[in-house]
Amino acid sequence: MSMSTSINTALDRERVATPPGPWTRPASGGRKRRGRTVAFAIGVVAYLVTFLIILPLLWIVLLSFQPSGNILSNPFSFTHLTFDNYVNAIASLPLLRMYGNTILIAVVSVVIGTAISFMSAFALTRMVFRRRRAQSAVRFYLLAGLAIPVYILLFPVYRLDLALGIFGTYAALIVPYIAVTIPFNTLLMTGFLREFPGEIEEAAIIDGVGLWRLCWSVVLPLMRPVIATILIFNVVYVFNEFPFASILINNPDMVTVSLAVSRFQGQFTVDYGGMMASATLVLLPQLIIYAIFQRQVIAGMTVGAVKG
Amino acid sequence: MVWVSTRWKILLMLAPTLIVFTMFVIYPLVYSGMFSFTKFQGFGNPSWIGFDNYVGLFTDPFFWQALQNTVVILVVSIAILIPAAFALALLLRRAIPAGGVLRALVFGPAIIAPILVGLIWVFILDPKIGLLNRVLGDLGIPSLQWIGGNYLTPISVSAVFIWSSVGFAMTIFYAGLQLLPADVMEASSLDGATGWQQLRFVTIPMMRETFAIVTILMITNVFKIFELVYMLTGGGPVHRSETLVSYMYFITFTNQQYGYGMALAVVITVLGAIISVGYLAAVRRKEAKA
Repeated sequence: MSMSTSINTALDRERVATPPGPWTRPASGGRKRRGRTVAFAIGVVAYLVTFLIILPLLWIVLLSFQPSGNILSNPFSFTHLTFDNYVNAIASLPLLRMYGNTILIAVVSVVIGTAISFMSAFALTRMVFRRRRAQSAVRFYLLAGLAIPVYILLFPVYRLDLALGIFGTYAALIVPYIAVTIPFNTLLMTGFLREFPGEIEEAAIIDGVGLWRLCWSVVLPLMRPVIATILIFNVVYVFNEFPFASILINNPDMVTVSLAVSRFQGQFTVDYGGMMASATLVLLPQLIIYAIFQRQVIAGMTVGAVKG
Repeated sequence: MVWVSTRWKILLMLAPTLIVFTMFVIYPLVYSGMFSFTKFQGFGNPSWIGFDNYVGLFTDPFFWQALQNTVVILVVSIAILIPAAFALALLLRRAIPAGGVLRALVFGPAIIAPILVGLIWVFILDPKIGLLNRVLGDLGIPSLQWIGGNYLTPISVSAVFIWSSVGFAMTIFYAGLQLLPADVMEASSLDGATGWQQLRFVTIPMMRETFAIVTILMITNVFKIFELVYMLTGGGPVHRSETLVSYMYFITFTNQQYGYGMALAVVITVLGAIISVGYLAAVRRKEAKA
């Protein structure tokens, strides 16, 4: 627990100052010049490695501007770049629908999941059970879900959706998403609330605040950092999720972004340019949002994963 | 707190979570366990066949192939990813112009949907249209069947997995490095430790917990690899490049052998749990000794 909270603070702090490498020693004269050469070499290596890592993405973007003929024969050419692939891609992809479905499913499942996890986490850490053991038993029951891989749930959830009559609706996907994020939400929220003193709430209760106001306007605002981590972690998960979506959605009108991408190869077959333009159209919005919220996303995902 | 803690209020607060979780996680888990002892093709009633599905797995060559591929991916990925991510964290920790931007770029692949990662890498690894063979060809190196051949796919899957996780692992190491107490580092360099000695005898031992966290995280993530195989080869040719999870998906949803698929799902769950617990126990024991 302490490990990950401190990772959070470390990530928050990172902008403030880059400390000198742990093994830099005060140097002078010729040593200084050598130090500068070393620093330059390190910079070059760092830029080179970073370039290699983003190279696959650049390659996709380059291909997406190549006329179809060039992709197989001469993909490195920059002379005949064209927007044709994008025209094709936009014409053949239900982009609005893909994004609309995915955003709808992500927002609804993450908001409801966070809300109900908050309610139960509050009950599990703040409310007084007549039997103490029952309280920790329920918490343990929810946390046990962390050890269950989603793959074992795919088929039973499909059957369950059918039995409940929700197969074919958005709920078929939303409810399982809520369910599989509960253990993680519970871990983070109960962890936070346990470390956090309950005195403010005690004072609020003495002031005569009811349960609703206590949760909504006293405790929830205190939990903002945890809630932010949970929202980011879960939105990224739901947005990118494929296995559940591939089984629980059979209506072409309800296709999510991941599901659409999985069908690009079948849809475009040898129209590689169109396929790459489509991939870029999916990739870019994600990268732009990431660029804007970069610090929060990195912190949220790392802290989330380290705790989970 | 006692004032707001009437029994029905507690129940009201717990009920939504407990109902959804029990119905969509615990009940399905039990259901899978039960189904793994039956034969069921999607119609009629499942018939109870005891351990036949499990016995069947042990004589199924594709299961052993998938297990072998998963182990290869696990070993190759962990052996390369952990040192590479740590080295990258050490590198990006130095004062570099726009270092923050570099770290964000390196982390980037971690937020891309695995299914899209798979598609992107088809255009790198594909023997005919991929970037890799094209570049190798220009250098005069003969082309290889990186994906879709008989042998190389698991290695290629590891490479893609490493690509998508290295920035993520690097970030955790990076944060761990920031937390090292400055006075210890200072003391060791005043004592005349060289950079290498300091790394070997001070930094790495003090980062043990971080190494354990990253390793366990990556092991569990390897066991979840599915979309990469799905996009790169679809498990083919003839299941040669299947991982445990992708083979389970095939059996269950393409072949509709639900009982058999659930037996494999149970085996995957148990294997994943054993490896994680075993690794943690090994780390603990080592720590107790140290």
